[in-house]
Amino acid sequence: MKQISQDPLIGQLRAVVTREQVLCEPEELLVYECDGLTQHKFPPRAVVFPRTTEEVAAVIRVLARERVPFAPRGAGTGLSGGALAVNRGVVIELARMRRLLKVDVENRLAIVETGMVNAQLSRAVLPYGLYYVPDPSSQATCTIGGNIAENAGGIHCLKYGMTVDHVTAARVVLSNGEIIELGNTGGAGAGAGDYDLLGLFVGSEGTFGIATEATVRLTPIPPAVRTLLADFTDVDDASRAVSAIIAEGLIPAALEMVDGATIRAVEASIFAAGLPLDAEAALLVELDGLEAGLDDEAARCEKICRANGARGVRHAKDEDERKKLWAARKGAFGAMGRISPDLMLQDAVVPRSRLPEVLAATYRIAAKYNLRIANVFHAGDGNLHPFICFDARDHDEVLRVKEAGREMMETCVRAGGTITGEHGVGMDKSDYLPMIFSEDDLDAMRRVRAAFDPLGICNPGKIIPAPLGCGEARAVAMQTEARARLSKTGFTDDSNGYQNVSSPHSAPLHETTEASLAAAESLSTDRERERQPGQSVQIHESVRAPSPMIHHSLFKVDVASQLCARIVGAAHVSGLKSASDIITVAPASTEEACEVLRLASSEGWSVVPAGARTWLDGDGTWRGGNVIITTERLTQIIEHEPADLVATAQAGVTLTDFNRVTGDAGQWLPLDPPDDGRATIGGVAACGLGGAQSLGYGLPRGHVLGMRVALADGRVVKAGGRVVKNVAGYDMCKLFVGSRGTLGVILELTFKLRPRPAREATVVARAVDYESLLTVAHAVIASELLPVAVELLSPRMAAAVGVTVDEHEHALLIRFAGAERTVDYQIARAHELCKVPSSHVEAMDNDAHLWKNLAAVPLNQESFLVWRASVQPSELSTMLNKIHVGESGLRRDTALWQVGIGDGRLRVIECDETKLTESISFIKKLSSKVNEGGGSLIVENAPFAIKEAFDSCGAGGGTAELMQRIKHQLDPQNLFSPDACTQQRLNR
Amino acid sequence: MPETKLQLASALATEEGKLLACIHCGLCLEACPTYIHTGDENDSPRGRIYLMRAVEENRLSLSSNSFTTHIDRCLGCRACESACPAGVQYGQLLEAARSDIANGGERKGLTGRLTHFVLRRVWLHPSRLRLAFTLSRLMRDARVPRLLLKTKLTRLISPRLEFAFALLDSSSPIKLEDENAMTGTKAADELPLGGEPARAALFTGCVMEGLFARVNRATARVLKVNGCRTSAPARQVCCGALHAHAGDLDGARQLARQNVDAFEDDPTAPIITNAGGCGAMLASYGHILEHDEKYAARARAFSARVRDVSQQLEVTGARQGAEVDAGRTTYDASCHLLHGQRASLAPLKMLRAVTGLEFKPLDGSDVCCGGAGVYNLLEPEMSAKVLGEKLSHIKDTGAETLATGNPGCHMQISAGARLTGLPLRVCHPVELLDESYRRAGFYGASANRPSDSQAFSRSIPHDNGSKGRASLPANLENEK
Repeated sequence: MKQISQDPLIGQLRAVVTREQVLCEPEELLVYECDGLTQHKFPPRAVVFPRTTEEVAAVIRVLARERVPFAPRGAGTGLSGGALAVNRGVVIELARMRRLLKVDVENRLAIVETGMVNAQLSRAVLPYGLYYVPDPSSQATCTIGGNIAENAGGIHCLKYGMTVDHVTAARVVLSNGEIIELGNTGGAGAGAGDYDLLGLFVGSEGTFGIATEATVRLTPIPPAVRTLLADFTDVDDASRAVSAIIAEGLIPAALEMVDGATIRAVEASIFAAGLPLDAEAALLVELDGLEAGLDDEAARCEKICRANGARGVRHAKDEDERKKLWAARKGAFGAMGRISPDLMLQDAVVPRSRLPEVLAATYRIAAKYNLRIANVFHAGDGNLHPFICFDARDHDEVLRVKEAGREMMETCVRAGGTITGEHGVGMDKSDYLPMIFSEDDLDAMRRVRAAFDPLGICNPGKIIPAPLGCGEARAVAMQTEARARLSKTGFTDDSNGYQNVSSPHSAPLHETTEASLAAAESLSTDRERERQPGQSVQIHESVRAPSPMIHHSLFKVDVASQLCARIVGAAHVSGLKSASDIITVAPASTEEACEVLRLASSEGWSVVPAGARTWLDGDGTWRGGNVIITTERLTQIIEHEPADLVATAQAGVTLTDFNRVTGDAGQWLPLDPPDDGRATIGGVAACGLGGAQSLGYGLPRGHVLGMRVALADGRVVKAGGRVVKNVAGYDMCKLFVGSRGTLGVILELTFKLRPRPAREATVVARAVDYESLLTVAHAVIASELLPVAVELLSPRMAAAVGVTVDEHEHALLIRFAGAERTVDYQIARAHELCKVPSSHVEAMDNDAHLWKNLAAVPLNQESFLVWRASVQPSELSTMLNKIHVGESGLRRDTALWQVGIGDGRLRVIECDETKLTESISFIKKLSSKVNEGGGSLIVENAPFAIKEAFDSCGAGGGTAELMQRIKHQLDPQNLFSPDACTQQRLNR
Repeated sequence: MPETKLQLASALATEEGKLLACIHCGLCLEACPTYIHTGDENDSPRGRIYLMRAVEENRLSLSSNSFTTHIDRCLGCRACESACPAGVQYGQLLEAARSDIANGGERKGLTGRLTHFVLRRVWLHPSRLRLAFTLSRLMRDARVPRLLLKTKLTRLISPRLEFAFALLDSSSPIKLEDENAMTGTKAADELPLGGEPARAALFTGCVMEGLFARVNRATARVLKVNGCRTSAPARQVCCGALHAHAGDLDGARQLARQNVDAFEDDPTAPIITNAGGCGAMLASYGHILEHDEKYAARARAFSARVRDVSQQLEVTGARQGAEVDAGRTTYDASCHLLHGQRASLAPLKMLRAVTGLEFKPLDGSDVCCGGAGVYNLLEPEMSAKVLGEKLSHIKDTGAETLATGNPGCHMQISAGARLTGLPLRVCHPVELLDESYRRAGFYGASANRPSDSQAFSRSIPHDNGSKGRASLPANLENEK
């Protein structure tokens, strides 16, 4: 007999979903007490199985009302205890939301409910020759939602990136039941001027909300694959081969390593693939791409392996053998399970160049604790997975496993690594987080979390080490409010009250007193009572932040100059020609920058971080801050390790210099944002903009591994790290990249580099009729070719870039990069595809100037209005037609425009001032159209009045308030004054 | 009653090692048809193992509602075993859990009690079982179920009864163009019995011999064509699969011992089955009798000899037959054939020997159809969901004929198709090959003419057969 549950919550839940959608009997809740990691056990109070986003929202509203914490769960395959509901919370299980909602073959996107299983998505889109790239070992069962929560990686993320690189939008239910849309459903070509909330959300382990639908990128199945197995008699040799392969400029799709112990376990299992039993290590290398040139790469790879001591190299001769080899690799975990009752699968990342020593250390540590271990790992990423064998019934052994695990983590961290590369922090590793993040770093994360989840009911107890439960987030929210209140009083009263608030080490949060916790408690319940239905919970009153100009009256140029000069020296404080009430300060170090910030904070000045200022004062009328802190004196390249493909530099280094230095080792940061040679890496990151070649190389967000950022109160926080794979804590880099200096001053950046391609060449096609070029461009993109850029240029743009065209001829530039033979083949194929009537086609080998010029055009043209739009590639034709019918006010002969065909990016530079009014009204109309389709339209540069008046910032999706909350959490005084566009966005 | 409890927990307790082998990775989840439908971890293999472990560790009561519900709801298809990287032998764990439940308390529900009664009182007694099948067959062949189904009378009484009748009716032979295709021979003509020196021993099975004797005959003929003579040992009984799946391990062991004895006359001959459910069960005799001193070694040897007819044909090779007008044909794998006996490609290879067959692969052919022995009658709701999915995949193939190698699947799919109005012929793959051989003339000089069944019956060696007939269902005249 089913008992009637005594818990009143169950009744409330069953009132919003059906009876059978709620599990509440303790016996049935037992299996939900843990996920893939059985070390942590917390039976939930109930499990709810919603079927729609609205049901999720309804359930969460009930839980928010009752202040009951919850944890989202997919397939429960996570290995960090992330899907457990602590404090008698409720598990929200998404397994019944597994529909594939839409496949958009043309734009290579799919919209799925997040309970959909990873491998099933790939299976479903296989008929279109597409697949979903992230392939964690659990892909046969794990859900896309779980992948998003953990930012799952997998074997192929070395070349193709992690989940965050393959999700373009998500529908998210916040902890107050509000449904918001993150990311950009229409075209991913350019930042929309919003914070990258989606990038931040991916990998937040269910602590920000629950993603219920996701738009994910699909990738064409590579036409050709080569799989090699190299075996070594020495583990060190194998790790050196890994570094050498990367340093040589090869980018394998996968580069995996198994050690001798694993080989022997696998060979004894059903996954036996004929790996040599006496080997001490084996490397499994997969190269994919076009058939042309792939054998060369495979041969190079074999040569490197042999040079580093490989005993034998075997090439998989067919798909069967390839599958078998991969099954052996993927089955390693299970195979180990056969020889040991329990397994602790660790997860850590180290710089590739440090692999040999760290590997040796893991064996040493295991020996020290008398434990058996085996190592399997994503060697190309430096991501280690030591398996520690044990028997959970042996208490002493369990303790030793824990100790050994910690010691291994410490070793990895000392080597410059991180504590988790793909499994997440969850419950399991929150104790380890302080190994890599300071209390300040964690504090910043807590604040962001409080912005997403002011109630603190969203998967509490995970990631950040803190007292469990609701108190934590509310305490943060409270403190922020207290700060804001204090600083407000500070402005009016004098400078007394806030000294203790803005000091970098003011009361750490976990020491928040009982009293303030209690206050927070009562405050939130009061608010709750007053809350109107449908309104989101808490916080907004306090977020009605003071306008940035509020400080303005307090600012006196001479006094400020003097005070700043004391910190950075008089020579480095200057006025601004265009605006007499603004000073520019150029600190030479992190310390100086922080000192200036603390000064500004205490004086109540507003601050604008800047790099080369290529954008800020383009039209000379920019204003909106008192002090510009420029990074122009922070020009040191701190570290470049070619074997790791990683370099760290101060924010003021120009992109040109950065690439000159890394270029010495045959590497580069493959970004081409608007840049006339002056753009700084800090500026590039802060703007988050890509250029024509983002089609092949991606946007800045994908290249930033770590950064150091000075926050408004002068504290410096670290975000990310120095390794290519890192899911420890929130990816704060995503938040700062593209935040346009509204959250902090970026001081230092670590980038993931790429090997410079052996050859680059551009195919240029010209035609009067741009439609025919557009057709060609789409054909190139739909083909097997892998261009890094496909850009259509207006006649004047083409001329400005340096392409010789007739007066009315449009130009299509298609750039290829890679190995000689691969590029040769692609050029030949592109020639074939470009055969349209009335066009002439040529291939250019010395093409660097074209792309350099293209990046510089937006900055060096005499323009009065620059705008860009981002739409689905399939919408481009319609877009262009709209621009050309004449209503746009654009004059064909004067307009400069460029269109990125692959990523749906359009930039228009208007130079005819007489058509100003028409242009403005046209783009306003266009903007609303674009927004409807999920895209965005942004005015990049315009007279200030226009820019201010133009509401152009992004698609919205109900994220404005969330952005406000984040801004308020990290910059409660509103010290950093944003540019007009972002300001508008924040105030909306 | 602590004493009983101790005894009860024993089946699971003896499998502790297998429980511990589960590393909780969850790779089995998507292989599990019940999990796919409920999304409930309790209905997943990993969840059920977790529940078993909880029972074993005394954290959960054996008689708890949640335990019995979710263990009962398992189809026992063992698809999770194929997905498991750690090689957990889930099927054996399930049988242990069900055995513990069965021994632990009172049977719940009428259906449960009835099943228990039938398995104990009928199935363990060959003569009663024969009688039951004879009655069923007579009823079937008199078209009683078909009539009742047409009147919709059965549905009025109970959908479960309707389905049961549909199942029975679905065991009828199909027509492949030619009326006489599979008929016209006598059992004794085709089964080389007893005294004949044989290359292989045929396990005839209770349901197979009771309702699908034609498939047994076809199996013998097809193997003969490929150079393998079969005999059917006389003393063989039901394999015990239904008992083991229902938790009656003692009943299963009793049958197992009889079969081990029955097949020891020719101790090296492979034991051929044509029913996935039987085959997987026979292959697990080594396991269920492992603690039986007298039988353990013999049972292991027995299990090692078990092969599906398709696997045997992989060994002997299959001659190419003539064309058969079966229309577009698809294949659905019997779970126990696929996951229990690991016969994934063999049945497809067998179909390849049918010349010119228009074959269309079935999406999700590796997923259970919901038949699962008597599951369709015990858990009709879940069974219907699983079957619905299967039927929709079948519909997508546009197939006219579906071949499957297990009587349970055969009847389940056919009954489902019938009740949903999907035109579909269901048969055993060996029936198609048999027909193909017949048309190729392998059974006689002019057997490619439809009326030549006499000729081909002559080609099968005659045998006195008296010994065999005594134990085989005696009145097995062939189906019309």
